[in-house]
Amino acid sequence: MRALVVATVLLAQASCQPTGDVGYVEIKTVPTASNVVPPPLYLDTLKVEPSKKGNTILTQRVGTTRLATDGAGGQLMLCEIAVKKNRITTVTISVLERPPRCQCRNGASQNRVCVS
Amino acid sequence: MIGRLAIRRLEVGRRTHLSAALLLVVALVMPFAPARAQAPNQPDALTPVEEFSKQLDAFKKSIPDLNKKIEDSAASVDRWTDVGKARKEIEELRAIVGAALGAVSDNGAVSNLGVQALNHARTKLRALEQDTRFKPEEKQFLTDQWRRLRDETERATEELGTARREFAELLRTLQSNEDFIDELMQIRQAQKALEVIQRLTKDIREASDQLKRLIGGIKPPGA
Repeated sequence: MRALVVATVLLAQASCQPTGDVGYVEIKTVPTASNVVPPPLYLDTLKVEPSKKGNTILTQRVGTTRLATDGAGGQLMLCEIAVKKNRITTVTISVLERPPRCQCRNGASQNRVCVS
Repeated sequence: MIGRLAIRRLEVGRRTHLSAALLLVVALVMPFAPARAQAPNQPDALTPVEEFSKQLDAFKKSIPDLNKKIEDSAASVDRWTDVGKARKEIEELRAIVGAALGAVSDNGAVSNLGVQALNHARTKLRALEQDTRFKPEEKQFLTDQWRRLRDETERATEELGTARREFAELLRTLQSNEDFIDELMQIRQAQKALEVIQRLTKDIREASDQLKRLIGGIKPPGA
């Protein structure tokens, strides 16, 4: 029984971690003051757990992924993030604005796509 | 009868003297025999033909080795001057850092284990507060143990966060300074190619010295 539980947990972990060619997405939320409640964020279908220090790094499959938040009529897309193999793409979310706005690290947000 | 006996004694005496004389001759001759046998082995006793033959053998033996070294060195220099190789090395470096970052990323295996361990310690602490099976001192002891575990797990996950930030920064540096790192890699490769050429030059110089010795060994009679 115990072995079955361990196997289930390992299988669940393996299914969370993307396989094949992967890259990394860094989501920074600003400001990080404790009185500011960050909005819920979704990377495709995955809910991004808010980080205490406002910085989350996720392993993602190579390709384009959508960053969204909850909107009035369902999910509201904030921007798209281009994930490249073994590269990190950083996006900063300004949570004081409504709706929150994506700021790409490279400053060149073409068609709301952040690239590494 | 007496006369015969005297003649026999005389013959025995003569044989004894002869044997002693032979022994003396052998004893005198023996020490010189090995000395004479060793004389041709001494280097100064080599004839010009033998010396030339020796040098020629050494030179002929060294030539195939030198040819192989030249071929190997040319292949090495080709490898080290390949610009694509530098790019490939950067990609490999990025893959190594990426794999490390992947392990500690927020959805990575190590982070998940840390979160699970922390949740478990917190759940146990909450459960112990409601538990009525233990005496107060036992409950206090167990609570202290679980508090210690929770605090240490929290510290460990914080350290994981530091590692995550450092790996992310390293990966960012690798990709934002790609052109400069590529140049550094190419300098490193050129240095390796130079080392190969220097080694080959030394080998060629040694072969040249051997050839000079061979030519120097050719002494026509009367020269």
